[in-house]
Amino acid sequence: MSQGYPITIRKEPDLLQSSLVLGWSEDMANLGWRVTDYLKRKLKGQEFAEIEPEDFFSLGGVVIEDNLARFPGSKFYACQEYKLVVFQSGSPGAEWHKFLNSVLDVAEHHCRVKELYLLGAMVSFSAHTTPRQLLTVVNSVEMKEVLNQYDLAGDMDYQTQAGERPTLNSYLLWIAKERNIPGVTLWVPIPFYLAAMEDAQAQKKVLSFLNERLDLKIDFSDLDQEIREQNERLARLRSRLPQIDDYINRLESNLMLSEEENGELIKKIEDFLREGG
Amino acid sequence: MGIRLYQEPQLEDPILVASWPGIGNIGIIAVDTLRGILEAEEFGEIEPWDFFYPKRVLIRKGILEYLEFPSTKFYFKRTEGKDIIFFIGEEQPTEGGRMYAEGKKAYHMANLVLDAVERFKCRRVYTSGAAVSLIHHTTKPRVWAVPNSASLLSEIRGYDNTVLMSDIEGRRGHGNITGLNGLLLGVAKKRGFEAICLMGEIPVYLQGLPLSYPKASKSVLEVLGHSLKIEVNLGKLDELDQAVERRIEEFYQQIPPEIRGQLDRLKHVSYAQPTEPGPITEEEEKGIMEDVEKFFKKRGGGG
Repeated sequence: MSQGYPITIRKEPDLLQSSLVLGWSEDMANLGWRVTDYLKRKLKGQEFAEIEPEDFFSLGGVVIEDNLARFPGSKFYACQEYKLVVFQSGSPGAEWHKFLNSVLDVAEHHCRVKELYLLGAMVSFSAHTTPRQLLTVVNSVEMKEVLNQYDLAGDMDYQTQAGERPTLNSYLLWIAKERNIPGVTLWVPIPFYLAAMEDAQAQKKVLSFLNERLDLKIDFSDLDQEIREQNERLARLRSRLPQIDDYINRLESNLMLSEEENGELIKKIEDFLREGG
Repeated sequence: MGIRLYQEPQLEDPILVASWPGIGNIGIIAVDTLRGILEAEEFGEIEPWDFFYPKRVLIRKGILEYLEFPSTKFYFKRTEGKDIIFFIGEEQPTEGGRMYAEGKKAYHMANLVLDAVERFKCRRVYTSGAAVSLIHHTTKPRVWAVPNSASLLSEIRGYDNTVLMSDIEGRRGHGNITGLNGLLLGVAKKRGFEAICLMGEIPVYLQGLPLSYPKASKSVLEVLGHSLKIEVNLGKLDELDQAVERRIEEFYQQIPPEIRGQLDRLKHVSYAQPTEPGPITEEEEKGIMEDVEKFFKKRGGGG
């Protein structure tokens, strides 16, 4: 335990001037989870700490996903050699301020984190053949200047709309700002018909940036293969179903589809990919 | 997690008037209108972090500039009659997706509000909310008053257009007040404060609509003004009241004629003499309620 927060430190990591990459499990197209999983696997991340769930998650049973019982986990992994900390968690349902401060307590006091990279996906009404963009929101002018040298879209204007609430990433970024920890949220637009599936291209976009920024020297050949396979599967579907091809052609020409057409496109693609396409 | 006071105003035995949002926002509109009329000055707040999720973010040119939380603020006004502290909570601190505050956080917030006003030797509290009633929207809403001590009953009986729970048909003096507008009354009792909750009546068929009901706020304001010995210009609420009335009428005309016919009968309900049988029997009341419920279920949640 640390500062009254429910943190379990299993092994004190030997980290100085590290960076923290955070992914939530409820992300669209599973983006945050897939990217952080990839980093853990490639960079041999070792679990060293955990936030205990009882104050933050509804523990009225377990959720079953893909035949397996799940349990909310909020775990930290150290990739010592790369001065990198990976944090994976479900989105807490309560005590958000306490939870997010717990994340920053571990980052600040146990990992000497100098920068935060928060991952998020957003829906896009463009086709999967459109190159993915990386949009950024930072919590300091200095961080914005640092990121100016990369191929990022960093001039977003946004204000919460009626009936909406800020994202957990914005909340964390704000608390980090209060604690003088520079941070950025990396937002990747995901084609709407892949939102409930996976989008390897979007993962690659985020990972390529992190690779360059944090000098991780990752070989992406496996991810490139995944992207090729997904593109081939979608190309097969297009040639098999002219209607779907027409919808995607229209999206490629920046035309909007009707609500009904959107629904049909989502259903056909999800069914096809789930059946192994 | 605590109270942040920007200044310590010199107040003499102030009275607390507090409200949070609820059905028809009746209480909060009444309290906030009074605060505005008296030009009460903001002097403190309850830190929101541990009670609320942020409500708004502002990002400009890719930089997160501002994160805003629901406000929970204290205001004060020195008047010739009585000094008043207002507390206005923009949201109720809910847990587990519930609509109204309950549990540890609600209890904690109620105690923080009383901690803050106790410093100024406040011993009396008013809260305000809604009373869902079998009335028609064209009739003037009454105010249901619930005190936390028997010593306040005779005072309440002197208020105009106000009833105690024992005066309300079929209630036999019982009922409940959900959320913080009710809880504060109980916590005040535990801590030895006198407290009264003033609830403006809202027609049962309007309770699920996303509309405020300023007509009832006016009734509450009249009673509050009388109790605090303050002259209140109700005209402040006229514009809002008229705009809402128009929307209610539009909604009312969408109700199927057979149900609207039943609801029209509520125009003739008179509760002035509770022991006297009204023009609608208990059996008929039950029928109207069932029809209304069926209509809202069919409509999908009443919104």
